[in-house]
Amino acid sequence: MDWDRRAFVKFAVGGVTGLHLSPLVWKLMDDVSIWTQNWSWVPNPADGALAKANSFNPATGTAVKVRLINSRIIPKDAYNPDGKAPRTRAIRVEGNPEYPLGLGIGGVVPQDASALQNAYLGDVRVKAPMVLDKTTGVYKEISWGAAIDMVAGKLAQLKKADQAQRVVAFGDNPDNTTGQILKAFMAAYGSPNLAFAPRAEDTLALAAGLMLSQPEIGFDLLGAKYILSLGTPLLEGFGAPVAVRAAFTKWRQGGAKLVQVEDRASVTASQAAKWVACAPGSQGVLALAMCQVLLAKGLAAEGSLNGLDDFKALVDSKFTPKAAAHATGLKPVAIEALAVEFGQAKQAVAVCGPGPGNEPGRLGDFMAVLALNALKGNLGKPGGVVVRGALPLKPLAAPAGASAAGLKGAARYAGHSNPLTMAAAALAGDPYKPKMAIIAGANPAYRGPQAGTFAKMLRQVPFVVAISSYLDESATLADLLLPAGTFLESWGDAVTPYGQAQASYGLHKPLLKIQPKSKAVGDALLMLAAKLGGEVAAALPYKSMAEALKARLGDGFKKVAEKGWWVQEKVSYGFNGSVDLQAATIAKSLGHQAASHGHSLTLAAVPSLRTCNNSEPITPHMIKILTDDTLRFKDQTVVEINPETAKHLHLHDGDLVTVDSTEGGFQARVKFFAGARPGMLYMPVGLGHTAFGFYRRGRGGNYNAVAKAEADAVTGLPVWGLTPVHVRKV
Amino acid sequence: MPVATGEHLYGMVIDVDKCTGCGACSVACMSENNIGTLPDETDKIRSITWLRVYQIDNGRPYPDTEVAFFPRPCMHCGGSWGGFFQQDADPEGHHTPCVSVCPATATDYDDETGIVSQIPTRCIGCRYCVAACPYHARYFNWYDVPWPGGLEQSLSPYVAPRMRGVVEKCTFCYHRYQQARDKEFAGGEFGEMDYQTACTEACPSGAITFGDLNNPEHQVSKLLRQRHKHAFRLLERLGTNPKVYYMTKREWVRKRADNYLPGEKIHRFAVGS
Repeated sequence: MDWDRRAFVKFAVGGVTGLHLSPLVWKLMDDVSIWTQNWSWVPNPADGALAKANSFNPATGTAVKVRLINSRIIPKDAYNPDGKAPRTRAIRVEGNPEYPLGLGIGGVVPQDASALQNAYLGDVRVKAPMVLDKTTGVYKEISWGAAIDMVAGKLAQLKKADQAQRVVAFGDNPDNTTGQILKAFMAAYGSPNLAFAPRAEDTLALAAGLMLSQPEIGFDLLGAKYILSLGTPLLEGFGAPVAVRAAFTKWRQGGAKLVQVEDRASVTASQAAKWVACAPGSQGVLALAMCQVLLAKGLAAEGSLNGLDDFKALVDSKFTPKAAAHATGLKPVAIEALAVEFGQAKQAVAVCGPGPGNEPGRLGDFMAVLALNALKGNLGKPGGVVVRGALPLKPLAAPAGASAAGLKGAARYAGHSNPLTMAAAALAGDPYKPKMAIIAGANPAYRGPQAGTFAKMLRQVPFVVAISSYLDESATLADLLLPAGTFLESWGDAVTPYGQAQASYGLHKPLLKIQPKSKAVGDALLMLAAKLGGEVAAALPYKSMAEALKARLGDGFKKVAEKGWWVQEKVSYGFNGSVDLQAATIAKSLGHQAASHGHSLTLAAVPSLRTCNNSEPITPHMIKILTDDTLRFKDQTVVEINPETAKHLHLHDGDLVTVDSTEGGFQARVKFFAGARPGMLYMPVGLGHTAFGFYRRGRGGNYNAVAKAEADAVTGLPVWGLTPVHVRKV
Repeated sequence: MPVATGEHLYGMVIDVDKCTGCGACSVACMSENNIGTLPDETDKIRSITWLRVYQIDNGRPYPDTEVAFFPRPCMHCGGSWGGFFQQDADPEGHHTPCVSVCPATATDYDDETGIVSQIPTRCIGCRYCVAACPYHARYFNWYDVPWPGGLEQSLSPYVAPRMRGVVEKCTFCYHRYQQARDKEFAGGEFGEMDYQTACTEACPSGAITFGDLNNPEHQVSKLLRQRHKHAFRLLERLGTNPKVYYMTKREWVRKRADNYLPGEKIHRFAVGS
């Protein structure tokens, strides 16, 4: 055959056709696509019947609904090789529009919306009771029974040796049922060393108790027409954020005026009708100066106020607008104008609250604000300061004989209920060194005050037990880990958030079994009490947390458990108590101002709902929503500084600096922000975890570890709002 | 020719004066739409946030500084449709920027709802749409999203998780529209509250309102009628015709919504005229 043109074409066409009829091309194409793209596993979420369950997030005070899927098919895949994933899973946490304090909006805060990430992220959960093998440094799983035996054995041994006081405990919230159980446990066991995370609730209760003889008070934010917020992060985490935001929406719609007194151009300051840029930590002085104007101009309400003469003498001598001008950095006329505006406004309330780092605040500041409210005459009136109703709760049953014996035991020793002094005394061995520590559902080695000091103490204690949901900073220092359930997996409750006018109560129940071996913190303590027997078991005669809650709520339990919340129906107006202005106490608390000791700048916190600073950690989704500047330089801490201050220090935007305080130093990048007060340095709070896996570990710095805590001159409660620092360019 | 010929025209009104920048909308969106978290989310260029909350400030020195927030979902640009109450065609003939450049029909403008769809399984990852979107609302999956330690258990079955190499963006929670239509088909009613986006529900200040701009009874339409003087859209002068409206009483916030020259007067588009 001649190899002519026709033959070539025939051969080529035949070849191509033949090749295409064989599987070779398709096989090669398939291989090429597989090997060039190498698709990894993409999850295929199982569908199923949808249900919604009511719950309550105790960390944020939000009533929520949890969407549950009852999966029809459980896929077997790389992450679930044996197909044993639980059938019921939660796919979403959303707001509960029925919650009255949310005004039907049904909103949430980022922490609620991403709560499932904290619950499901197994890498950072405590999955089973684990004991640390001190020779190898590896945790070994043990049974709940063995773990409880171990702790009870050590407790019994110490008690027998008359060293019960050497057991220290730290809890999260003293007012909820878990806190009450922990209190009863420690009292019956005989140790006075029990501390809780310090809160503004404590300061407000003390101030109100002293001045109004009513510790349970709130600010009627929903009824107010003029709101003067003195240094509070009103829109950045005050009280239950969802309820405060609902009130804010009402102000916007109803034309109420919000005035924010603060040193930084925060979210609240920007959303306020007026921002009074006052020096940091001087809000108490400003409130007193405003009191002076009200009294001098005859704008103060008529009525009997005990100690008015002393109070008048105090403000006239030390807190006139002229005298306050230096401390507050405001012009006397501005103070006067603000006081007159407040005095003449209808339904006006002055609000005090936690500081930006979520610290409890100074007693004097709170008392000054309450005095301002008393002079305004808004006590018990709509839009004023009101006394809250009682919660529908019975106290924990405490058999008289047993608990009295326990308390007598506890009272024999010097003890600390303040984490700041507890850690300092323990480190100094003054008068003794603790032999055992119980961390019950809290993370003191991360949160303030002086997280570093607390962590140091935990490292020195020979036996640390942590009842924790997460492998957090405190749990990683523990010798024995007990798995606690998150609010989605366990029984628990939450009492009225800070400063709320209506009493409210939240109850969460086990909806899921994400970590099947986890138990409520209260359950672990009750198991321990039962094992210890004697006085402790008698003080806590409950088999489980659910039983304790049932006993406390009585007949109302079923309804509250179903709804997830209880709210006082109406704000109770009317105030028939007496008011004591307590000028001497105010003067004592405010007289002690932190000296800067020649430091160049002052470090303060920037609160935000994007970072959160409460009992639960930041979630991976929340790392995604940080502002562009918060982690602009990868994981480095970014501190805000006023451009003018930076100019004096020869700093440029983005410069690397060393920030030194008495607590130690850290490196940070500076970010220019015109809204930062000159002479100040601002740092976000809620970042800088040293635990919690790759999403969160090492992202920024921990404000709580670098802030210097001081004791309030009257209450002794730690205050860590302002830290004097030196800044040096690297 | 008006683009929206269908029954519905879904849009959003965001009250900037109520927004406190907490980010609840953004996180609620992530949990609703199965948006994953990369190991390092500090790199904002590659971080995926369908609804991103931008912080702006007025640029004035202390103590006159003020900040505000622009929550930015996909704008669902309508293109040649003159805006609310202004049914005339845009004489310049603008179009939805992303839809017109997509070579794979992976994104489309739905005439029935006015929603700009995104179909990840059709996407070939060319990223023309990412480049075309003036709002940076489109995100490319540069990496595989890890779902470590049981995190995939929290995924919603209503939205498919995306693979590496495709573009994704806000869909106005289109699956919720489908669910509402399913309910209607089964004999139920399709009311205003039956189709709401996750961000709208999550906002604790009630700053986001969502609904049908074609329906005068819906809250979005009422708001735009009542407060048209305060309403504006982002980068309006581009003629993209977004369906996400913002509202503010603050002039400086409004000025930040577009690129103005120093001293230039704010160009007011005919919203509700």
